[in-house]
Amino acid sequence: MGEAGFTTYLVDDDPAVLRSITRLLKAGGYKTKSFSSPQKFLSAHDPSVPGCAIIDLVMAELDGLRLQEALAKSGSQRPIIFLTGRGDVSTSVRAMKAGAVDFLTKPVKRDALFSAVVHAAELDAASRQKRQESKSIDERLATLTHREREVLEHVIAGRLNKQIAASLGTVEKTIKVHRGRMMAKLGVRSVAELVRLADRGGILPARNGQSFPL
Amino acid sequence: MRSLQERVAHFGGANTLRNVFIVAIAYYLSAEIAFLIGTLSDKIFAPFWPPNVVLFCALLVTPPRQWWIYVAGTLPAHVLAELSVSMPTSQMLVAFATNCLVAIVNAFAVRRLMVEPPWFGTIRKTIIYVLIAAFAGPAFSALGGAFVQILGGGSIHDYGLFWARWYASNALGSLTLGPIAMICLERTTRPRLAPTGRAVEAAIIAAFLIGTCIIAFEDLPSIASGYLPLLLYLPLPIIVWAAVRFGAKGASGAIFVISVVLIWRTLNGPSLFDIGSPEANVFGMQLFLIGLSPPILLLGSAIEETRRAERTTRESEERIAFAAASSNVGLWQYEFATGAFWATDYCRTLFGLPPSEPLNLDRLVSRIHPNDSPTASAALRSAISRATPLDVEFRVQDGEEIRWIAVRARPVAGDDGRPTAMSGAFGDVTSRKLAEADADVQRQEIAHLMRVSMLGELSGGLAHELTQPLTAILSNAQAGKILLAKGNRSLSEIGNILDDIIAEDERAGEVIHRLRSMLKKGEVKHEPIDMNELIASTLGLLHSELIDRRMAVTFDNAPNLPATSGDTVQLQQTLLNLLMNAMDATENVPPARRTIAISTTATDDGGVQVHIYDRGSGLPPAREHEVFQPFFTTKKRGLGLGLSICTSIIKLHGGTLSLQNNVREGASAVFRLPPPLD
Repeated sequence: MGEAGFTTYLVDDDPAVLRSITRLLKAGGYKTKSFSSPQKFLSAHDPSVPGCAIIDLVMAELDGLRLQEALAKSGSQRPIIFLTGRGDVSTSVRAMKAGAVDFLTKPVKRDALFSAVVHAAELDAASRQKRQESKSIDERLATLTHREREVLEHVIAGRLNKQIAASLGTVEKTIKVHRGRMMAKLGVRSVAELVRLADRGGILPARNGQSFPL
Repeated sequence: MRSLQERVAHFGGANTLRNVFIVAIAYYLSAEIAFLIGTLSDKIFAPFWPPNVVLFCALLVTPPRQWWIYVAGTLPAHVLAELSVSMPTSQMLVAFATNCLVAIVNAFAVRRLMVEPPWFGTIRKTIIYVLIAAFAGPAFSALGGAFVQILGGGSIHDYGLFWARWYASNALGSLTLGPIAMICLERTTRPRLAPTGRAVEAAIIAAFLIGTCIIAFEDLPSIASGYLPLLLYLPLPIIVWAAVRFGAKGASGAIFVISVVLIWRTLNGPSLFDIGSPEANVFGMQLFLIGLSPPILLLGSAIEETRRAERTTRESEERIAFAAASSNVGLWQYEFATGAFWATDYCRTLFGLPPSEPLNLDRLVSRIHPNDSPTASAALRSAISRATPLDVEFRVQDGEEIRWIAVRARPVAGDDGRPTAMSGAFGDVTSRKLAEADADVQRQEIAHLMRVSMLGELSGGLAHELTQPLTAILSNAQAGKILLAKGNRSLSEIGNILDDIIAEDERAGEVIHRLRSMLKKGEVKHEPIDMNELIASTLGLLHSELIDRRMAVTFDNAPNLPATSGDTVQLQQTLLNLLMNAMDATENVPPARRTIAISTTATDDGGVQVHIYDRGSGLPPAREHEVFQPFFTTKKRGLGLGLSICTSIIKLHGGTLSLQNNVREGASAVFRLPPPLD
């Protein structure tokens, strides 16, 4: 059912609960790794493996919300599903704000658990894909020279070559050359494609030439 | 009985002149009576001189500052009386002076030494009276009185004889007339008129006495020659009769009667005292009476004293019995030697016995409630047989009514220091028992309410304790279903799942069982308790709460801890309460200090000590002693009943609970429980 390599990481300090949910997830066809303490989970954590974490909110060593923080600090963007014994609204709001995928109340039903895991898997896949894309965009943007980058910012601001040349204090012909090289390096053939790529790469359009110091 | 001062006030004041007049008349009349009874051969000197006694009695009941009025008032009476026997002036004045002297000396000494009536109520007072009024006073005044006869022509060589006569005359008055006069003056509040029977008896005694005296002291040469001592003793039985029946009054009355009869007979006819001259005869008679009177007076006062002591004892016994009955107490005593049992009437009321029934130990014991009878009667009998103090409580069924009776008794030592009797009291303690039972019910109600409220506070954590096993059960069951649906035929995996489900179900059941026992409102039970286990189970109940509050708990349980006994629920309540206090105290301290350390140790006496140590904010300084008082609280929403309930629970188990701040930070609660009974 799950995609290749997707793993559910289960953290609960109650051994009986840990064992039973692990059993359920495995029966559901998920590759599951279970941890009886947050510390064990943190020290064994590999963010590169796709998957989601299912974490008990109330644990003696380190409670779920802190574990969430610790994960975020370590740079992991793994989706988190919280399990809790009580339907505490304020805690669930905090967890969701901090980016939790779902907040399930114990005793948790199979369908609720599985659909949360499916949802988390989708989110994880999407974020991994997005991260993959932005990584390649970043790589391509990194090949641009300073001048080419300036030209890029002006182009996505919708300026004509003539205007760009005026802003950068050069001639239109030079701009054309830079523009051609830049488009080739980034592998785009139209301004529309360029704009989309710049947007994903987080590059802002130049602001009417004034961004350029005189 | 009125005090002397009151009588003085009554006698003195505005009535003084009238009283002086009465005394003067009495003085005169008594002098005339003395002359009537008889005088010596000189026709002047009377061997029995009552006027001195009249003056003495008058002085006795008047304040000393008025004495001179009475002395002055009696002078005319004296002169008048002596003139009728034509006594020369010089003799008359000396006689008056010495008479007054003896009266004043006697009155002064009696007032100082005997203080107040009853004058002849005790042997001590009577001895004092005899020594003063019959010996010292007359002997002293006779030093002057002897001159009266010398002035009348007597020889100075006979001074000793005159002194003796004068002394005997005055002493005789003091011994024979004085006591009866003083007793009449006592004016007790008791009815002045004796019951008819007593009056008749007194009259019979007087008649017998007079008759016997006449016979005894008659000069019957044919009989008397050989039987003189026998005759002298003849009135004695009647004197004793008077003394025994009428005390000091009877004794003094008898003396008076004998004296009058004897003096009259000696002066006016043939007498037993036939020594020679009339003077010698009279003197012999006087000595006889002076010798006879003191022992009789002493006998009378001794009887009076005994009788008064008896009456006082009886009255105080009656008072005690009445007071005891008024406060629902019955008194009893058991004599070891005879097995005699004495008890106040109230004991019948206590044990529900009709007045007609005999009151004995067996009958009382038979009234004890069958449930209490074996222990109570055994305790009672063993205390009596071993002469040890007794303190038992038991019930008595009186018709529909159940009465609680407490019996306390102690052995009473005899003269040789060995116990001779068991003396005790039965008390009705029903109302106290009812109040105790009431308080018990109320305490249990409050303890129950506190448990409920505590569990309410813990509800979140407790719900979690149930959620965990339910989660495991549900997940296991669902996993099993999926496995079966997939056609998995691995029976061992299904078996594992079912094992887990059973185990988790039991775990949930355990939680519910603990909750139910805490919520139950039941009788206090007495069962063996393993304190380590109880603490572990309590920590189990608190598990989620502790995690939720980020509390770290360490439990240092002593191995081989002796068992204790008590009520599991109440002791768990105490533990819960103390632990929750510790948690509350650590709420606002840094996380590193949110720790509770519990330890158990065996005490020297074979009991158990539990120590709960926290590093929280501690008890409010200077108010540490207040924390056990009801309604004292430092919590915002506390009732202030927790610790007072804990104390009463631990006390009920015969233990102690203390709470104090630690030296550095936080507080420690320590409770000790005694080893189990038997």
